[in-house]
Amino acid sequence: MTTREWLLSDNPVSRRQARLGQSYRTWLDFRRNGLAMFGLAIVLVLVLVAIFAPWLAPHDPLIGDLRTTRLLPPLSEGHLLGTDDQGRDILSRLIWGSRITLAVVALVVVIATPVGLLVGTTAGYFGGWVDTVLMRFTDVVLAFPKLILALAFVAALGPGIENAIIAISITAWPPYARLARAETLTIRNSDFIAATKLQGARPARIIWKHVVPLCMSSVIIRVTLDMAGIILTAAGLGFLGLGAQPPQPEWGAMIAGGRNFLVDQWWVATMPGLAIFIVSLGFNLLGDGLRDVLDPRRRT
Amino acid sequence: MYQRRLLASTALCALMLGATPVATFAETPPDTLVQAWSIDDIISLDPAEIFEFTASEIAGNTYETLITYDPKNVSDVFGKAADSWTVSEDGMTISFTMKADRTFASGNPITAEDAVFSLVRAVKLNKSPAFIIGQLGITPENADEMIVQTGDMTFDFKMDKAYSPSLALYCLTATVASVVDKKLAMEHEANGDFGYEWLKTNYAGSGPFIIKDWRPNEAVILERNENYSGEAAPMARVIYRHIPETSSQRLLLAKGDIDIARNLTAEDIAALKDDANIKIESGVKGSLYYLGMSQKNEYLSKPQVRQAMKYLVDYDAIANTIMSGKVKVHQAFLPEGFLGAYNENPFTLDIEKAKALLAEAGLADGFTVTMDTRNTPEITAMAQAMQQTMAQAGITLEIIPGDGKQTLTKYRARSHDIYIGRWGPDFQDPHTNSSTFAYNPDNSDEATSKPLAWRNAWDIPELTASTDAAMLESDPDKRAEMYIADQKKVMEEGPFVIYAQEIEVLGERANVNGVIVGPSFNDNNFSKVTK
Repeated sequence: MTTREWLLSDNPVSRRQARLGQSYRTWLDFRRNGLAMFGLAIVLVLVLVAIFAPWLAPHDPLIGDLRTTRLLPPLSEGHLLGTDDQGRDILSRLIWGSRITLAVVALVVVIATPVGLLVGTTAGYFGGWVDTVLMRFTDVVLAFPKLILALAFVAALGPGIENAIIAISITAWPPYARLARAETLTIRNSDFIAATKLQGARPARIIWKHVVPLCMSSVIIRVTLDMAGIILTAAGLGFLGLGAQPPQPEWGAMIAGGRNFLVDQWWVATMPGLAIFIVSLGFNLLGDGLRDVLDPRRRT
Repeated sequence: MYQRRLLASTALCALMLGATPVATFAETPPDTLVQAWSIDDIISLDPAEIFEFTASEIAGNTYETLITYDPKNVSDVFGKAADSWTVSEDGMTISFTMKADRTFASGNPITAEDAVFSLVRAVKLNKSPAFIIGQLGITPENADEMIVQTGDMTFDFKMDKAYSPSLALYCLTATVASVVDKKLAMEHEANGDFGYEWLKTNYAGSGPFIIKDWRPNEAVILERNENYSGEAAPMARVIYRHIPETSSQRLLLAKGDIDIARNLTAEDIAALKDDANIKIESGVKGSLYYLGMSQKNEYLSKPQVRQAMKYLVDYDAIANTIMSGKVKVHQAFLPEGFLGAYNENPFTLDIEKAKALLAEAGLADGFTVTMDTRNTPEITAMAQAMQQTMAQAGITLEIIPGDGKQTLTKYRARSHDIYIGRWGPDFQDPHTNSSTFAYNPDNSDEATSKPLAWRNAWDIPELTASTDAAMLESDPDKRAEMYIADQKKVMEEGPFVIYAQEIEVLGERANVNGVIVGPSFNDNNFSKVTK
């Protein structure tokens, strides 16, 4: 029996086999979606570039030479994507900048998702006044446009990449809470929850062990789709000078630096813009693909 | 190549679409001069309050000061509203005689009464520029006794000490000493404000143009003064349009929608040089770009570190690339063109020397400092260039960006490490800069006088005394020597890295002639412009 047959077996003999088989089927589904695979490839390349930045970047991202290498056009010798107004190699800055972008996305997800899940599942499971208090608070946060709220927080906390991450996280969790609550409401009265209750399980255990796992797939989809938005918000803050500080090669800040040269030296702003565009597209395609395979309602 | 141009023009079109809110016409009317400038700094049009770049220029074209100087040769001082003056024996009183038969735009005659009213009014209103007259010993309390009308066309201007005559005269060339139409202003007086509330948005002057309209963040419209006593201006109207984006200004200029663009970047200037329809006019301004290093910082207070910092700025590269055409290297606190200005530039980028100096200070491994940086493109770019060169000597410069108000507030509160700033002289006498870069009578946090030396907590009793002495010296040659000595001292020991002097650049359509770009903003003159 090949591994494939073992994975696709209709009669799994162990839980592990069933679970792995399920994942494999999902993967097969996913693989059939060309666009989703393209998105995955972009994200993988981004991750690899970020990991191997020191070896991939041809030049120092922070040090340029005003006298000799300022504002060189793309395809100049040694500078594939040209140089910026400080004489720094744009390609190298983009490569190092991928680390910042990825770090922002990863940290925001790590901070915002658990908070959203916790608030949503708690509200959904307990109902009553707990639900009212938590959801009204969520509504309050949701009422502000994301970027505006993030701007306000960064302005209060002071500019900087760490504060930008905190600010974006604060604005990112409410949708997850809403989603998790909706999912929780559909399963809180299920028989298996009642059975667990009868066995004496406490609410914390029920939420963590039985509710959260069932909410995960829809939250994952939502998070992946949101990643593009996180990148854009981070870039927006960087553009306004509230995110990463110079000389850090953050993509949004790079665009801001290049907009004064847009007419004559278009590449300074265009290259980081393209990078943001491609990466956002990658995350969006990946999220779309994941929704197609993970969304229980769409499954045939 | 073709492709690059295609892309550039696509971007251009996109910009154009976003940048022209009003109906575009191909050419400006022949009797109207249209300028694009960022005019958001205007807060008032009352000459007793005007202290901003844009408003100063407008005041310079619409009001007349008592005396003025030739913008091409600042030492040539002559009367404008005043005809002549004599300085008394003791050097403490200047007696002015006004020019006869001149009128305000309203038709009222200009008399000594108006001149006295204007000066007393400025001192009593006590707005930002009032100190220019106030430093001559005239306070709101004693103004009525110090500035006295002695006849229809004559008045005495008394001071508390025998200040250098050139200092007193240059103070009276500032916009704060503009002659205001007393009759008109007093018609609009409310609660004893000398017509201040009304004049903030209205006009009561005698210059070649009158202020017709000011719409904040939109436009200022000047019209020819038909009652002007001098030669009538060829242009019937001068319009300032508020266009903050430099690239929009450039595109409008290239299209002929405006006659003059005022905020071009170094790149714009380089690109427009080859355009036959456009010419570039420039004039050396008195503004200096500098770094202020707080002496409250443990590293920056070491003399060797202060020296080292002066070797860690790539003066030439900044002046020739980022600020190309917009500044020239200048390192002394008196800008070129001033009496006693020291025009040598002893410092250049020298990493090795800086490292040696840092090692001498016991900081061979470098240190970390912050720099409060106004988030305008040019200041940020210069800050980053310095960040790079300082990093080579092991100094980590952390840039803290903020808008002008934030950074300036922090600077004024002495809570910065390094501040990257721009300093414009208030009048054309060397005392204006000497009294801020080399003057600090009280270095305590509660001091009432807060010059730049105070902001950087630089305690300098000797230089302060020297500045006071130079202010009273009446022999110009001796005075110049005193200032040169002070400049050398500040250059050597001071907490200031002065690195450039501003050159103002205007992009003009080729048919525009007669623009005068003076050393100060109120010297920029459009009364002779033809097109």
